[in-house]
Amino acid sequence: MIIALPTKTSGEKAFISENLGRANYFYIYDTDKVDGKSFINNFQNEAHGAGVKTAEFLMKYSTDILITPRIGEKALEILLETDIKIYKATEKIARENINDFLNDKLEELY
Amino acid sequence: MQIAILSGKGGAGKTLLAVNLVNLIDEANLIDCDVEEPNGIFYFPIDYKKTDVNILVPKIDDKKCTHCNKCVDFCRYNALIDFLGKVKLLPSLCHSCGGCKLVCEFDAITEREEPIGVIYQGDYKNHKIFGGELNIGKESGIEIISQLIDKADKKTVNIIDCPPGNGCSVMESIEEADYCILVSEPTVFGLENLKLVYELTTIYNKKIGLIINKANSYNNVIEDFAKSNAIKILGYIPFDKELSKLNSNQKIVSDNKRFKPYFNKIIEQIRQEVDL
Repeated sequence: MIIALPTKTSGEKAFISENLGRANYFYIYDTDKVDGKSFINNFQNEAHGAGVKTAEFLMKYSTDILITPRIGEKALEILLETDIKIYKATEKIARENINDFLNDKLEELY
Repeated sequence: MQIAILSGKGGAGKTLLAVNLVNLIDEANLIDCDVEEPNGIFYFPIDYKKTDVNILVPKIDDKKCTHCNKCVDFCRYNALIDFLGKVKLLPSLCHSCGGCKLVCEFDAITEREEPIGVIYQGDYKNHKIFGGELNIGKESGIEIISQLIDKADKKTVNIIDCPPGNGCSVMESIEEADYCILVSEPTVFGLENLKLVYELTTIYNKKIGLIINKANSYNNVIEDFAKSNAIKILGYIPFDKELSKLNSNQKIVSDNKRFKPYFNKIIEQIRQEVDL
């Protein structure tokens, strides 16, 4: 299972970004490999459609679960058509949000 | 003669000024380009003819599409996304540039019409009143503004009531203007917003004049800026409860004896700058 989170800095100890499409980084975690990697968000400064590009990015990495504090209209419009499940992030760091998700402690948004 | 009325912020008095100039200038027309919050037409309770406004957006033929993603990469507005085996359009992001159709080597893209809003058109005495309205949920009213400006006869005096700010929709509204009137209120916040539109009119090389609305004892906040940039002050609209009350009840305040002279004075000043 692949879990994705928008983060402020890189690495599993990064804090969660307030925004999804305009996040600095995405942390992608693979539960089978028990390993994660951070990616710079190349579309952060797009004038239009950063959310669209983020949705595209998440699809490219075969994301199953997205953990985010909020999600924009356009990213949501696209992701609702996919099998990606969206959960609400808390103010903890990425690693703790992943653990909380795995322990069923996060609220499902969509 | 195209006269555009601008301000950096909403609520500065653009529509108030526009409506009253139209009212007092013989055969002047109103073009309300603030299609996101159109209220110019409310002042003229007449029957309006409604015309739909459509934009062209791409339609993708899934059978012809090879998923080369040239269109997706080309789109500056990220309105196209290749996902779940289909190239999908997000119409709200599309700017109708037609570029995707041009770059497609497989003829997979045609164009279809997408409704984005309406144009209102009516006659009030010897004035023509034009207004537009962007449908809820649509992001860009540029096409409506462009069609509005095209509708008006360029030989007469057209008062163009611009949207607030200095963005694309304002640029579209002032592009053909012969003269720009900036409206500001005498506050520091008003001044900061005035600077933004002043910069825009400078870039466009427009002849400008300035109106101070809600004029009070702090007018010097704006007057000092006008003086240091050699901007002509065309007049003042007083900060007055009765005026605000009339205006907020959709009354044309220049029909009121007390307020008519302020607008006549402004028109007199404009006549010194341009031929009305």
